[in-house]
Amino acid sequence: MVVLDIETEDGQREALRRMLTIRAFDTKAADLFSDGELPGFVHLYVGEEAVGVGACSALESDDYITSTHRGHGHCIAKGLDPDLMMAELFGKANGYCNGKGGSMHIADVDAGMLGANGIVGAGPPLATGAALTSHLKGEDTVALAFFGDGAVAQGQVHEAINLAATWNLPAVFLVENNQYGEATPVEKQHNVQNLSETAEAYNIPGFTVDGMDITAVYEAVKEARKRAADGEGPTFIEAETYRYHGHFEGDQQPYRTEEDVAIWKDRDAIESFKRRLVDAGTITEDEFDEMKAEIDQQIEDAVGKAKDAAYPDPSEAYEDMFNAAVPEISDFSSGMRADGGEDR
Amino acid sequence: MTTTIGLVVNPAAGRDIRRLTGGASVSNNYAKRRTAGCVLAGLTLADDVDVLVMPDSTGLADRIVDDAPDELGVEFVDMTVTASGRDSRTAAAHFADHADAVVVLGGDGTTRDVAQTIGDVPVVSISTGTNNVVPTPVDGTVAGAAAALVGSGAVPAAEATTRHGTIEVNVVRAEQTTVIRGLATVGVLDRPFVGTRAILDPSDIVGGVVSRSSPAEIGLSGIAGGLVTHRPDDPGGVGFRLARDGESGATAPTTVRAITVPGRLSTVDVAEHRVLDDGEDYAFEVDRGVVSVDGEREHEVRNGTVRLRPVSDGPRLVDVESVLERAASDGRFRLG
Amino acid sequence: MSTETSSGTGPDQTKEMTIREAIRLALREELERDDDVFVMGEDVGKFGGVYEVTGDLVEQFGEERVRDTPISEAGFMGAAVGAAATGTRPVVEIMFSDFIGVCSEQIINQMAKNRYMFGGKTEMPVTVRTTEGGGSGAASQHSGTIHTWFAHFPGVMAVAPATPASAKGLLKSAIRSDDPVIVFENKQIYEQKGEVPLDDDFTIPIGTASVEREGEDVTVVATQRMVGESLELAEELAGQTSVEVIDLRSLYPMDTETLVESVKKTGRLVIADESPLSYGTHAEVATRVMENAFYSLDAPIQRVGVADVHIPFSPALEEEVLPHGSDVEAAINRIV
Repeated sequence: MVVLDIETEDGQREALRRMLTIRAFDTKAADLFSDGELPGFVHLYVGEEAVGVGACSALESDDYITSTHRGHGHCIAKGLDPDLMMAELFGKANGYCNGKGGSMHIADVDAGMLGANGIVGAGPPLATGAALTSHLKGEDTVALAFFGDGAVAQGQVHEAINLAATWNLPAVFLVENNQYGEATPVEKQHNVQNLSETAEAYNIPGFTVDGMDITAVYEAVKEARKRAADGEGPTFIEAETYRYHGHFEGDQQPYRTEEDVAIWKDRDAIESFKRRLVDAGTITEDEFDEMKAEIDQQIEDAVGKAKDAAYPDPSEAYEDMFNAAVPEISDFSSGMRADGGEDR
Repeated sequence: MTTTIGLVVNPAAGRDIRRLTGGASVSNNYAKRRTAGCVLAGLTLADDVDVLVMPDSTGLADRIVDDAPDELGVEFVDMTVTASGRDSRTAAAHFADHADAVVVLGGDGTTRDVAQTIGDVPVVSISTGTNNVVPTPVDGTVAGAAAALVGSGAVPAAEATTRHGTIEVNVVRAEQTTVIRGLATVGVLDRPFVGTRAILDPSDIVGGVVSRSSPAEIGLSGIAGGLVTHRPDDPGGVGFRLARDGESGATAPTTVRAITVPGRLSTVDVAEHRVLDDGEDYAFEVDRGVVSVDGEREHEVRNGTVRLRPVSDGPRLVDVESVLERAASDGRFRLG
Repeated sequence: MSTETSSGTGPDQTKEMTIREAIRLALREELERDDDVFVMGEDVGKFGGVYEVTGDLVEQFGEERVRDTPISEAGFMGAAVGAAATGTRPVVEIMFSDFIGVCSEQIINQMAKNRYMFGGKTEMPVTVRTTEGGGSGAASQHSGTIHTWFAHFPGVMAVAPATPASAKGLLKSAIRSDDPVIVFENKQIYEQKGEVPLDDDFTIPIGTASVEREGEDVTVVATQRMVGESLELAEELAGQTSVEVIDLRSLYPMDTETLVESVKKTGRLVIADESPLSYGTHAEVATRVMENAFYSLDAPIQRVGVADVHIPFSPALEEEVLPHGSDVEAAINRIV
């Protein structure tokens, strides 16, 4: 895995590559969904790439993240393999979760990715727990929770932050304020204007950064990570960003206009970062085009491989519930009940 | 005759990373709303006052308008909200033609945005944080009263305002020149990114030009202020560059103590400083760096020349205390 | 027949102690055995637990590993899930099982599902200890017996000790298990005494029932407090009716084989459990017996539990709704 240190030119190119990979992956997922090729729901990260990649570039490789239902971007930012992600979206046996999780549950605990999560607000308590592990074991890892503006209204998010703050745990709480909780604008869900103001209630630092600027997110998380690793406790960061797609694919988006979207697209995170790198001579236009074409091909290949991959054997439905074997499940799966009971 | 007062409340001010990296205090929106309420109450000191409020996307301005005293005629400026510094500039441009005085709640950045387009309309600038050079922390009611007195003409603007200097910035690169305008300070920093905008580490400072300097101020104007005091309305400014680690200058540097960010008393080596005349250039060759404007990193530079120049054409800032004292000596606070 | 296993080589020494002491002993041994084990919950540390179960553990293991939490079940239950996924073995105390509702999200959607959803790529070694049972005038929000919910819910193991030995053995197995296990402790029997093996590797495998008293005429499958009361009843009835008493111990997974073997011998079954009767633990035991020993049954299966009401406050009402040995006797009399 290429280390993502965006203070270096290599790291900047890699960050750009990851942002492009997220966009290509999720744009492809949108196409596949509208063509009816993907089962279930997909929630796409297009527009928010700078937050995931900026944050993960400020983390160490053994740090933990928790994610949301909109988790593809976090996975790619953390270094997960798009081939295995795509296989999971198709429900194939070689997917990250062997086809059991799908888009909303991609996880790779060994890579520090504690799971996308279908429950809004369920991730922050898990991050508090991962930070508790780090604290109890005296490790120098940090846990970062990505969660949305909608989740800030959830009680368990408050509990998670309060616990981490009170216990001074090495956690970072990063709100991706993409301006809508499902279809409801953020100002109709919260009585504070900046969600970072809620940090005051926990006596921890809270601030707002431009989530369309990868360097801002990177620097913010870098400082917050340092504070956490130094034993000074959690930080609350609000990254202001925007999702270009609907809440879910198929969302008709009656709650906003094309002009609303255009204001944010005008500040597109990938385009602006690319422009800065071109200006600085870190990458040329040609190299960028080449990178983009390569990534598009990589995602095409991922789709091809995912389509060709095998579905899990139906018997797999009865695996993985527990580490231990449980007769209730193994007896069912072996069809024992078919004889109606042993003393018939 | 109706007095029209413009009101700019920046909902984003006071929320940046200095809450983590520096000792900056928090200015939450509830506090801003209450301060704005005080401003409106202070404005009732004059009769027949209309208030034009900059709209925003957060609901803060809505609440300010909803809570306004009945005797004021309060309306929003008719403008498109972009939720960025552009809003303050748009509102100020409108006030330049339609307001008799303007009250700004925000920090140096907000005041600078307003200054770009406000023209000659007197500005009362209220700090909503601790880390500001231009706006001062003053009670909203007092500030509102001063705005009412100046706006209504009860106290002549010429006698109660000072014209603040500005700094013109030309970033010159091979094929293009970018023009930026700063109000109190413009710096050149050794940082690769704009990032979170705030100046996090004083050791990043390469140098800069300030339109005012005083050891009582925080940041670049405090560094220059350790060497020379320059009033906001003095023509020209002060340019300086620091002796960077590993670099040797022609002359031995002067070591200066300065408050560089809230909570940090720094010791910096100033390689050179110069009092600049109005319009005099002070330039930096920059391989890789960032230009900061009024305490915020603003513009990334690769292989360019940053040319800084003090220009005395800034906003007219109201001296709140002298306005009220002048009004009192005119008997305006005596009844009967 | 007893299914206790003793995997260690230590002496088969036992000591008489209460269930409360047996639980504390199990916690102490596991905290000593494995540094990854830690205990957390409301007032489990300095206060020693509201039912004094954790007692003095904090003195031996310190506040980090015997960790007082805020009153924040969703927060610390979620933290336990996150901690378990990243390499620790939390033992969480939820003071009253009635409070589980406030943290059910983390139990049902995270703890119970993550391993499966992730294709087996995480372990979830969380132990949740919680109290159940009426009889102390604590009214409906502090007296419930809810274990059916979680015995029913896939992905969670559920055990319910009835004796000091099973309290120790089951809890140790729960802590050593890589799967989530909820231990339902009936608070009315914390003072009940019995012999407990002192071997620090004494465990009782989850998924095993225990025939506590052999008999020929009727099988009583009981849980928690009802085990002791059924044993007393069996003693009283000795000479008239020969009652076999089985402590179910493990609600999920369930030891179907032991139950079926017993009913094949006796032909009659009474199920005694303090949970509400509809859709319950009783129904699950009855179904498994019918699926596997239908033709051995000589009489209708009898259920002893709580009618579908909450546990009321007034002693007169509470006594009315709680099942006792006398209810088991009545049930036996209906079918023997």
